[in-house]
Amino acid sequence: MSELWEGPLEKIDDFRWRISKTYKPGMRVPGIIYADEKLLKDIRHDKAPEQVANVAFLPGIVNASLAMPDIHWGYGFAIGGVAATDIEEGGVVSPGGVGFDINCGVRLLRTGFRYEEIKDRIEDLVYALFNMVPAGVGSKGEIRVSSKEERQILTKGSKWCVENGYGIQDDLECTEENGAIAGADPDAVSERAYERGKAQSGTLGSGNHFLEVQVIDQLYDRDLCDTFGLDQGQVMVMIHSGSRGLGYQICDDYVRGMIHCLQKYNINVPDRQLACAPVKSQEAQAYLAAMRCAANYAWANRQCLMHLTRKAFEKVFGTSWEKMGMYLIYDVAHNIAKIEKYAVDGKEKNLCIHRKGATRAFGPGHPALPERYKKTGQPVIIPGDMGRNSYLLVGTKKAEEETFGSTCHGAGRVKSRAASTRSTNLGALLKELQSKGIFVKASGRGTIVEEAPDAYKDVNDVVNVVHNAGISKRVCRMRPLGVIKG
Amino acid sequence: MAKNYELLEHTADTGIRVKASDPEGIFRNAALAVFDIIAEALPGQKATKPQKFHIKLKSENLEELFVNWLNELISLSAAKGLIFSGFKKIKLDGSGLEADITGNNVSGYKVNAEIKAATYHELKLEKSDSGWIAEVIFDV
Repeated sequence: MSELWEGPLEKIDDFRWRISKTYKPGMRVPGIIYADEKLLKDIRHDKAPEQVANVAFLPGIVNASLAMPDIHWGYGFAIGGVAATDIEEGGVVSPGGVGFDINCGVRLLRTGFRYEEIKDRIEDLVYALFNMVPAGVGSKGEIRVSSKEERQILTKGSKWCVENGYGIQDDLECTEENGAIAGADPDAVSERAYERGKAQSGTLGSGNHFLEVQVIDQLYDRDLCDTFGLDQGQVMVMIHSGSRGLGYQICDDYVRGMIHCLQKYNINVPDRQLACAPVKSQEAQAYLAAMRCAANYAWANRQCLMHLTRKAFEKVFGTSWEKMGMYLIYDVAHNIAKIEKYAVDGKEKNLCIHRKGATRAFGPGHPALPERYKKTGQPVIIPGDMGRNSYLLVGTKKAEEETFGSTCHGAGRVKSRAASTRSTNLGALLKELQSKGIFVKASGRGTIVEEAPDAYKDVNDVVNVVHNAGISKRVCRMRPLGVIKG
Repeated sequence: MAKNYELLEHTADTGIRVKASDPEGIFRNAALAVFDIIAEALPGQKATKPQKFHIKLKSENLEELFVNWLNELISLSAAKGLIFSGFKKIKLDGSGLEADITGNNVSGYKVNAEIKAATYHELKLEKSDSGWIAEVIFDV
């Protein structure tokens, strides 16, 4: 099904390409793709640009249908897509613009260890993490919650974890929305969604979700690194997971309903997976209330995963996580819809920002940022593949002006799972990773070959684009030491 | 056993193409494909007592019914911890469906993949000269 996309792309500058509004009748705005010449070759390799054009059909869409350099073919929205709709002008929300894994996201915590201090303990650490952090398809967690508590998690998010001893107040300040977005209504969540999410708090999941022990191998901005308490050779931990079965079911439930909204509200979109409803409609309000429940569940999930990570470190090193300096840098969502204020044509407007595989990237001074990040801008965490690098960036004012405060979310797939499985020899891959000092432990062998580094674009190329385009700024780069996959 | 479906390449997700002589066959073959992707029976495992469910769905049209059918199976499987393998009575009536399905506890299987949901993206369900054909992409 994958074929070269040969549609017209007009060069705006070295890092931006436009799909004209005239490309397809029905597009309300142009599409803009952030990429350089090198990445553009990969981007043209599948149907992602067509999906950027399709998103431009959404009622109320403002300025442009945007795509980040890690863009790749998804369903409905491309993964790496950003769309803002004007609520007062009939702007819509589309569950497909958030995806099934609502608030899939990443958190990064630092440690006080230097690589030299723990380099002989990486395998022990990976085994301990693998044993203590439930991973894999349908994995169930040790942190068991009652039905009543599950409902509390949906409104309190990470705060529920802190109240129950799975973290500290400081963790909340270092989480987007303080780990709980307002407006979540547990009554908007179906019984099936509760059932599907049951017992999955504090589980990593499968696919591209992971937990990595990393080391900082490159500093880009010494002042910012000093502010974040980071230095070359410092050991870090990155956690990538989402809302598990609860989020999948909420998306499914509301897509079923919103398919009928297309006719009800006379909305014309070229792909039914872009089913949507005006933000002010009852259907959209119910979806947003349920989506926020899943978002809060995901923040609680990553908070629990961090708690288990801290416990695993304590077990291996025999000292408290506080003494090991395991403090959260930040936690970001990269599949979410948020209501945010932006200036459009000189007027401040409430917009519904869809980030489908895109990260919020607010610049210095933004009121949503905690005091500690007011001067630096919001930390932005970009995971790469298991064999190369990951990044810490900060958001910029330019992102707020150009991309509705958004940037990329990862490396972006370039090969299908089937193609990666066909072209990867597991033994050779593990040997290659080992030669780079990377130890991998996964629940299934299949996941490792599906997630092989070659299946992804080089995250260094992706980050070069967002940095040079000015929509985020490099702080430091990490490389993996130990990888836990589902 | 020969597979009754073809995998379709998709950068981030997974798609299938199934063929059958009638729509009921399409619904059955797609359901079998879903659980073939998700899991394989562990050899030498004593089968657990099968659990039976009666599924009843109503949709606006056959395509929507097809997506809802697959999503109902995916969702029920995840919620109950079951792998479904029996789809013997599938009755389609316009845009309504009734089916009796059976599944076994997931503990008797090696789980290979998680399917989050079936999507409408590039969905195809149509009659051709040689029978019925369907294509569907799953979020995995």
